Amino acid sequence: MKSALSIDRRRLLGLGTAAGAGLLLPPSLRGAQAASFPAVAEKDAVIAFGHVGPVNDEGWTWSHDQGMKAVQAAFPKAKTLFVESIPYSADATRTFRQFATQKANLIFATSQYGDFYKDVTKRNRGIAFMECNGSSLEENLGWYYFAHWYPTYVIGVAAGLMSKTGKLGYVASFPVTSCYASTNAFLMGARSVKPEATLQVVTINSWFDPQAATQAGVALANNGCDFLFGIMDEAGYLQIAEQRGIKAAMWNTDMRRFGPKAYVSSVVIDLKAYYVDQVAKRLAGTWEPKATILPLGKGVDRDVWGETVPEAVAKQADAVREKMLSGGFNPFAGEIRDNKGKVRVPAGQTMSEMDLYKWDWSIEGVAGLGA
Amino acid sequence: MSAPALARTERVETGAEVVPETGGRSDLPPGTPPLVALQGITKTFPGIVANDGVDLDVMPGEIHALLGENGAGKSTLMNVLTGIYRQDAGRIILDGYARDLSSPQAAIAAGIGMVHQHFKLVPAFTVAENVHLGWEETPWRASASVLEARTRALAERFSLKVRPDARVGDLSAGEQQRVEILRVLARAARILILDEPTAVLTPQEAQDLFRALRAFRANGNAVIFISHKLDEVIAIADRISVLRGGRKIATREAAGATERGLAALMVGHEITLRKVRPRRPGLPVSPEPVVAMEGISALDDRGLPALHDISLRLHGGEILGIAGVAGNGQRELSQVVTGMRPITAGVIRIDGRLAKPGDAAGFAGRGIGHIPEDRLRAGLAPSLSITDNAVLREYGGPPVGGFGLFRPWAAGRLARAIAAAAEVAVPSFEMPARNLSGGNQQRLVARRETRIAERVLVAAYPSRGLDVGAIETLLALIARLRDEGKAVLLFSEELSELIELSDRIAVLFNGRIMGTLPTAEADVETLGLMMGGQRQDRSGRAP
Amino acid sequence: MGWRLQRTPSAHRAAALTGRILAILAALACAGIVLAMTGRAPIAMGADFWDTATGSTAGLEDVGLLVTPLILTGIAVALTTRIGLWNIGGEGQFGIGALAAAAVGLHLDGPEPVMLLAMAAAAAVAGALWILVPTIARAYAGVNELITTLLLNFVAALLIAWVATGPWRDRTGGALAATLRVPYEMPPLGEAGHWGLPIAVAVAVVAAAALTFTRFGYETRVAGANPGAAVYAGIPVRARIVAVMLLSGAVAGMAGMIELAGTAHRLQGGISNNYGYLGIMVAVLARGSCLAVLATAALMATLLNAGIILSAQGLNTSAVLAVTGLILFFTAIGDELAHYKLVRRPAPTG
Repeated sequence: MKSALSIDRRRLLGLGTAAGAGLLLPPSLRGAQAASFPAVAEKDAVIAFGHVGPVNDEGWTWSHDQGMKAVQAAFPKAKTLFVESIPYSADATRTFRQFATQKANLIFATSQYGDFYKDVTKRNRGIAFMECNGSSLEENLGWYYFAHWYPTYVIGVAAGLMSKTGKLGYVASFPVTSCYASTNAFLMGARSVKPEATLQVVTINSWFDPQAATQAGVALANNGCDFLFGIMDEAGYLQIAEQRGIKAAMWNTDMRRFGPKAYVSSVVIDLKAYYVDQVAKRLAGTWEPKATILPLGKGVDRDVWGETVPEAVAKQADAVREKMLSGGFNPFAGEIRDNKGKVRVPAGQTMSEMDLYKWDWSIEGVAGLGA
Repeated sequence: MSAPALARTERVETGAEVVPETGGRSDLPPGTPPLVALQGITKTFPGIVANDGVDLDVMPGEIHALLGENGAGKSTLMNVLTGIYRQDAGRIILDGYARDLSSPQAAIAAGIGMVHQHFKLVPAFTVAENVHLGWEETPWRASASVLEARTRALAERFSLKVRPDARVGDLSAGEQQRVEILRVLARAARILILDEPTAVLTPQEAQDLFRALRAFRANGNAVIFISHKLDEVIAIADRISVLRGGRKIATREAAGATERGLAALMVGHEITLRKVRPRRPGLPVSPEPVVAMEGISALDDRGLPALHDISLRLHGGEILGIAGVAGNGQRELSQVVTGMRPITAGVIRIDGRLAKPGDAAGFAGRGIGHIPEDRLRAGLAPSLSITDNAVLREYGGPPVGGFGLFRPWAAGRLARAIAAAAEVAVPSFEMPARNLSGGNQQRLVARRETRIAERVLVAAYPSRGLDVGAIETLLALIARLRDEGKAVLLFSEELSELIELSDRIAVLFNGRIMGTLPTAEADVETLGLMMGGQRQDRSGRAP
Repeated sequence: MGWRLQRTPSAHRAAALTGRILAILAALACAGIVLAMTGRAPIAMGADFWDTATGSTAGLEDVGLLVTPLILTGIAVALTTRIGLWNIGGEGQFGIGALAAAAVGLHLDGPEPVMLLAMAAAAAVAGALWILVPTIARAYAGVNELITTLLLNFVAALLIAWVATGPWRDRTGGALAATLRVPYEMPPLGEAGHWGLPIAVAVAVVAAAALTFTRFGYETRVAGANPGAAVYAGIPVRARIVAVMLLSGAVAGMAGMIELAGTAHRLQGGISNNYGYLGIMVAVLARGSCLAVLATAALMATLLNAGIILSAQGLNTSAVLAVTGLILFFTAIGDELAHYKLVRRPAPTG
């Protein structure tokens, strides 16, 4: 049984590429070359993926699985292993330890397993480990994530332009950092064009619970929200939006077929290039434990706009995206107040990628996401 | 090795006996095949030969009694005939044709119906619904009134008085039994098997039953009547077959049979029947009551009043019998006097001191032993070992208990001592108590209880379901306790047993005492009237 | 002459054991055939599993880590079955025990041994409190404990999710949706193991001894086997029900503390990991015997570990669950068949 509360997984923020291995490496490792991982012949290589959900979830795990398929295509002689639906419990330790006994050279945890993962990394210093949405680096452990807050901000702009009531809704899993960054970025984008917009969040304590997500969508729509967004792996609230004649944006993949009229866009992720690159480095013996936040346009982006999105809206939102891509525009600049009115980012200051990655408070106008 | 030989001899013998004189039915043409002929039925269970080459012929128009001690093989034989078990060897011949009764349904289709000792009715359904339950002739869509009309017609046809619209749960045992019989007869049964049918009936109800059975017989049908009660068997049956140790010992004409002779056949040796157990000469009755109940009222399990204003005094050195039709408060009274059931009014004194009602451990601690009415529901934990069951009364103190401990070895020693005193052969004391026969269970319980009955033994239906030998042992045990100066409260459905053993007899009806008679003044007729609700009180005093 | 099957009223011990072993072998054979049909090599996979599970300290330690909570939740259920009831709420009591232990470990300071004892005590009390309402409802109002204990599992899960992602959330970035790492840990045993295993074994032995060698245990067995007989013997059935149920909750709570302090170290949503529900299976397979729980918990742990090992070899996790189900299914059949023996049919006489 998959735990209803498999916490971990995904998201969190992060943009700029490697927010600098040097910066994030433990002091003991800085400067020194971390444990070396000698080159491996492709035919001897074993690459393992541990997933939080089923590979056919059409969302998060599916996207990572696409990455594995790209690895298989690029390195056909290498052996790949994967296990799906690993719970966030001591079972994760056991599973990843199995990868180690199977002589894996590089192991990806496609979601955060925290201490359960580190129990394995500590005991297998000769193996290279990566953790998606990880939190720290070790001599054989790196992490990676997406700067999803940028495309989210862009979608927020579209939401601000398209919403009539100014009341936006959000279906969240848990009050974790990825949800804070996502909700905040979304509302900031909306407020950039509709300053009075507010965001109501419903937390359903699961990453995958179509029924709860649908109920949350109904509740938000009943509450007057006319634009729904969320971090779910399935299309539950998109279908509600379709029925109610309101709009919705999604996460992970293109889901327009579930609600073509309501579909606005999606924060889509693409790990193919990153995974192939990591494996190539490991085979070549140049892999290093780094922290990587895949930037806008290189692993995370907005999806092609939906069929009912007015051209003007698409144009205005894409202009913001262009500014981010070309001009380094960072909308996450002071002054930013939290939803209790306290100034958290003073005027003149800009949040760093790590600030965004570890964002754990709601901005003014966001209600319902924990503390 | 003598078994087959014996069986063969018997076959010859019974055959010779049967054909000419068919139980008073001289209208049967010669050569009429038996309605049921069992030939060489053998059925074994692990370690037990339940039936060993049993032959039995039941003629049309005959009431055939089946007698035997517990474990003699009566139930197994009937289970074979009703398709519940399959015989290992032997044949079943109905109307001259060998039949294969592979299932209960096949037996019913062949016209064999059985009324069990424990009725298989649905209490929440009406009589009509119960009669029509699981019957293929029940109309597909039938209103209550249609079912009731059909039931009424059936009841008339078989001369069985039932109320089609009454709920079975509200009926007396006798009425429920009539419903069971009607159910069986409605399915065109030609052979009606009754297992201990009179155990739950008043004498008057038993007479009604006998009338109905005779009417059924008059139509050329047959009845197989299983019973322990020798007098009743002689009265109702045309012929009597006796089983012992899984074999058929004999078939006798009822006319001319004697209780003593039948009992001897059942147990295999001459025994004294209905032995009066005189009080030990000079045995005093204690002047002060050991147990005094004043104005007791109590509720039954459903929370309805079951006992009303009961006052009884029980003296050392006497046996007080409680008569009454089952279900008139006996169960509740036996539980109140042993502390198992709380009371709503009144006081109980043991040896002059107030007792705390509803404190079973306290009552036991003050020397009240209890042979409960239903040993499997109250007296024993059937799934626990014989050792665990044997020490149920004495586990609290040394040698088994003490300091919060339970010493299995000491318990085993105590269990062996109790089993030895009860003359029960136990193959393994670790075996669940349910593996013991009913008689052996009761012997163990009785012996266990007499060990703690320092002052009083409450014996509720101690001989129910037991064979002659076991009853004999139990009643002797009760008499011995009396002779030791202890008080005994004896509940029984056998008036003869009460009259034989008790010093005084009190009659319960609807939760009230109808009166207490010295046994010398009690006769079956008077007691029968009191059991029907008539008050009589000639003496509440101990002799 | 012929042979036929004959049913005996109670199964012989040797027959029962043989039945179980045959059941497991039959289930594995079925699974092997299915695997072979899908183009895998069952024998090689089995050998691989055996090597990994038993051929290395790490493999044995993994089983040890799994068996520890299973013994305790199995005991929690087995205890209640001895008094004729079912504690389906082990999952919730486990979680609440872990929560209480985390509360103590995160918010109080002290020397490690003292703190571990305090965490264990808090967990036991919390587990007992979590079953208190179903217990009272059962003992005094006859409310079916199956439902009430089960429902509280969901309440416990939500409560844990709330504290782990809300008030006690790790804001240092060490973990998502989990509390900070509890600084007090079970003393290690071997490389990855800890002292939870010997403690769990001791609990099982003590429980078995208590049922056999104490007055309380005897009264519990009588009350469970036949409440009527318990009333008859003057045993306070309600008091025994209350005591046994609370004890059961406490044991399940303790299991949560050991999992927290020994294995998980942080309170998070999935902490109970179905151990409470698996404990029901463990107890059923052990037929309520506390000593047999040790064996059935070991079997269950081996199966779970096999699931993990085989899934890393590419076998779908649901296939592993199916094998587990098969084993239980065949065990039920084996238990029934153990009641039969083959006897020589006497020569027909007719």
